[in-house]
Amino acid sequence: MLAACGNSNDNKNAGATASGSTSSSATSSATATGAEKLKKISLFQSKVEIAEPLEKLAETYKKETGNEVEVWGSAGDAYMTQLQAKLTAGEGPTIFSVGTGAEAEKFKSYYADLSNEPFAKNIAPDMALKDGDKIVGVPYGVEGFGLVYNKSMIDPKDVKDVDSLTKALEKFKADGKNGLSLSQEAYFLIGHIINTPFALQADPTGFIDKLNKGEVKMADTKEFQEFAKVMEAIRANTVNPMEVKYDSQMGDFATGKTAMVHQGNWSYGMLKDYGDLGFDIGMMALPIAGNDKIAVGVASNWVVNNKANADEIKAASAFLNWMFTSEAGKNAIVNEFKFIPAMTNIEAGDLDPLSKTVFEATKAGNTIPWALNYFPQGIIVNDLAPAAQQFFLSQDMTGEQFLKNLDAAWAKGAK
Amino acid sequence: MILLTKSNKGWFALFTVPLLLVFTTVVIIPFIIGIGYSFVSWDGIPANPKVFVGLDNYIELLKDDRFLTSAWHTIEFTVLALVLVNVLGLAFSLLVTMKLRISNAARTMFFLPNLIGGLILGYIWQFIFTDVFKFLGDKTGWDSLFFNWLIHPQSALYAMVIVFTWQMAGYTMIIYIAGIQGIPDELGEAARVDGANLWQRLTKIVFPLLMPSFTICLFLTLSGAFKIFDVNLSLTKGGPNNATELFAMNIFNEIFGYGHYGLGQAKAIVFFILVAAVTLTQVIITKKKEVQY
Repeated sequence: MLAACGNSNDNKNAGATASGSTSSSATSSATATGAEKLKKISLFQSKVEIAEPLEKLAETYKKETGNEVEVWGSAGDAYMTQLQAKLTAGEGPTIFSVGTGAEAEKFKSYYADLSNEPFAKNIAPDMALKDGDKIVGVPYGVEGFGLVYNKSMIDPKDVKDVDSLTKALEKFKADGKNGLSLSQEAYFLIGHIINTPFALQADPTGFIDKLNKGEVKMADTKEFQEFAKVMEAIRANTVNPMEVKYDSQMGDFATGKTAMVHQGNWSYGMLKDYGDLGFDIGMMALPIAGNDKIAVGVASNWVVNNKANADEIKAASAFLNWMFTSEAGKNAIVNEFKFIPAMTNIEAGDLDPLSKTVFEATKAGNTIPWALNYFPQGIIVNDLAPAAQQFFLSQDMTGEQFLKNLDAAWAKGAK
Repeated sequence: MILLTKSNKGWFALFTVPLLLVFTTVVIIPFIIGIGYSFVSWDGIPANPKVFVGLDNYIELLKDDRFLTSAWHTIEFTVLALVLVNVLGLAFSLLVTMKLRISNAARTMFFLPNLIGGLILGYIWQFIFTDVFKFLGDKTGWDSLFFNWLIHPQSALYAMVIVFTWQMAGYTMIIYIAGIQGIPDELGEAARVDGANLWQRLTKIVFPLLMPSFTICLFLTLSGAFKIFDVNLSLTKGGPNNATELFAMNIFNEIFGYGHYGLGQAKAIVFFILVAAVTLTQVIITKKKEVQY
């Protein structure tokens, strides 16, 4: 038994180190299942929302295959710094997540080639994370954000442009309700909402390039001027976002104290905890400069650390394969993580109302892109968020001044 | 005789060499490597090139407004914390050495916050400053005092001082207690016989003889306040609008937020020189004031 296992391992891991294969053969004899035992791997990712179901999925994986995946606690805002520290120290996870765009670019020296893995052919067109021709990352799924609203409190027909949105917010304020809630986390305060004016440019990535070089200014661009008006209306008529955290934002929305939140389909995971809300919810566009589309994109991708040893890389690919092809894995992606699949072999299934909106908008092509993926790396947390905090803390700052500050912050962050 | 010195030398080597080795590998060598990094431009990814830029990083940090603001906030924080921690620590120590019935209980209570880590303390106080304060403000109507302290730049810095004091005052108290107990009773009794009142006994006898404790406590609070990171991270994360971003956090953000390893490292070297200079000056000054009886 022991010899057989050892042999099969040795044959398959031709390039593996001697110590690696002996340890894996030793552990496989311990389980005595006869199935091939893979090396234990680690997984680190940024989404707090899926932390629990992911750990459950790892348990299921262990039950079904006998292989172990250690899921490291997710770190929220601090994910990037922790990931970098771990990778630089050579203690990086085997599988980790990176955002599409600038973030993926930063860590590209770490990606193992996944082009030949069985799941790679199932990735929806144009959704894979690529380094040249090689597929290096599998998308989590597509995600979308916009104004998530309470259907019993507001009708999207009444929020068609900046003026009508402002009027709606003023009315809610007069009624003692919170019309639209942002929250203090960098992405929920500024990162997502500022995506809209970028995405509405004719060529968003080209615009970002010009902004990096200082050739254009947000303060001089029409879409941003409308965006600033929305931010002014939010500051004047709603609870100060600096006092609101993601959980209280969603809590107040779920209990009917807030009519709209600028959030994405992921926030349904929070709403679910409140049981029957007693009202229907939907997602609509942030109505600036005639925009009537929600923003949809791939936020995160699974990648495999090429600095891990060959056994671990093999085990990591096996896990990803299992996650994207087995019934348990596919079920977890759709029903537990609540992701809108970006794989052709996974049915959308029973989506929650927010994801359904995103899924349908995606199918109909009724979306604006996630321009924020192409922002200079880290700029939202480092530079834009402090500028937004300053705006929300000083009642007398004009929208124009706010845009100038954002331009200054951008110039610093793009260096 | 010769034998004895030989074995003495052996013992000496046995105890110091391992320590020296550890100290060299985990302090000296990384420190020297760190100085080296401060002369390169690098984003922290091993695969990417390190470009030698000479003193550019040091020149750039002098032009970095955010770093200079953070330096000013650190000084503000340190001065406030230094005064508050030591005044309270000393007051507590005098209180619990007065042979009151609750002395032992009070001593434990005052020291307790120090046993909780700075991160946890930060999160506990974050809850107090945001939720409890707001609740109190709503209930009592004193909303000029009870508001969310953490979203106003100035009060957020004071909040940090309060949490740091809460954490450190009990610790300095212990050191002051040890100092007070080391003062022989007869000195105080003799002074009392001579007609000295409590204030005279404190200022003329207790404080001069406590100088060694002052040296230690001032050093600990000074370096502790300068280097603070954990409370900073958990309580305010440097916000709002970077108003409470102190030295250590500015360096952390430069390195991990912006990915400017070289510049961050240069800041760290400047930071080190500054902390060393300030604390050494303080130790020399207070050492001079120490007296023997």
